[in-house]
Amino acid sequence: MTEHAQWLQLQIDKLAEQQGKFTDRAFWLALAELVREQERRSDQLCGEVDGRTWRPDRW
Amino acid sequence: MTTLVLVSHPHLADSTSQQFLKASLPANEDIIWEHIESQPTLDVAKEQDQLRHADRIILQFPLYWYAAPAGLKQWEDTVLTRTFVYGDHRYPLADKELGIVVTTGMPGKAFQRGGAEQITLDAALAPLAAVAERAKMTWLPIFAIHQFAYLEEPEKLQLVVDYQRYLTQEQPDSLGDRQAWFAQRLPEMIKQLPPEQQATGRLIEAEFSQQKDDIDALADTLSLIKEQEDD
Repeated sequence: MTEHAQWLQLQIDKLAEQQGKFTDRAFWLALAELVREQERRSDQLCGEVDGRTWRPDRW
Repeated sequence: MTTLVLVSHPHLADSTSQQFLKASLPANEDIIWEHIESQPTLDVAKEQDQLRHADRIILQFPLYWYAAPAGLKQWEDTVLTRTFVYGDHRYPLADKELGIVVTTGMPGKAFQRGGAEQITLDAALAPLAAVAERAKMTWLPIFAIHQFAYLEEPEKLQLVVDYQRYLTQEQPDSLGDRQAWFAQRLPEMIKQLPPEQQATGRLIEAEFSQQKDDIDALADTLSLIKEQEDD
């Protein structure tokens, strides 16, 4: 996880902690999980773009 | 989207899982919630109207002997008349989604061949899927809650939002649909924050939205590359 991603997770976790209502806390924590999923997907897509662009047969 | 949640439970007040789910119902959404066994008599016309009006219908119940409680079967037999469901070749429920929220006392791993129950939930609840098929409805993957009493707080927090999304999020449950669900609700959630937390809320929203755009751009690049590979 990049430093920026870690910082974002921290912001969301802190905001979640400050919520008194259980369902509100649940919303922000679920968003934190989704942001982690975005990170993973982004990494995977970057990897796939790199992999498909690297075509030695077309050098 | 209008979601109709029909709960069948013979002792609703005593059920901690059902009370939890009721408290988790998403606010500011078009949701009709009804407890079947609380109806003194089933008003067939009203029940059928509710079904006609809904886009997504959720049947919610504890699993009793591999099936829904008797109250739901009685509701089916009374409300889902032949004429209503498919008589005269009119299908008023066609294309509506049917979702099942089922609670079980056994863990998820019990519901498979070789597991303690030797039957999957899909197999046990096949009669409900057959009704959906007959009515030309779209069957949603079952939302099962296993051993609610054993869930720890992080799992309960996760359950709140998973349940809300099952009731109101577009299907299939893809990353794109999940992002859209949160994006739609974020402005209202930020508005509800105390003033001193709103700047953080807006910052998170901006970052989330930027990541979503980045993923879309990467996906576009990738499809361009794939198109060229096909040439």
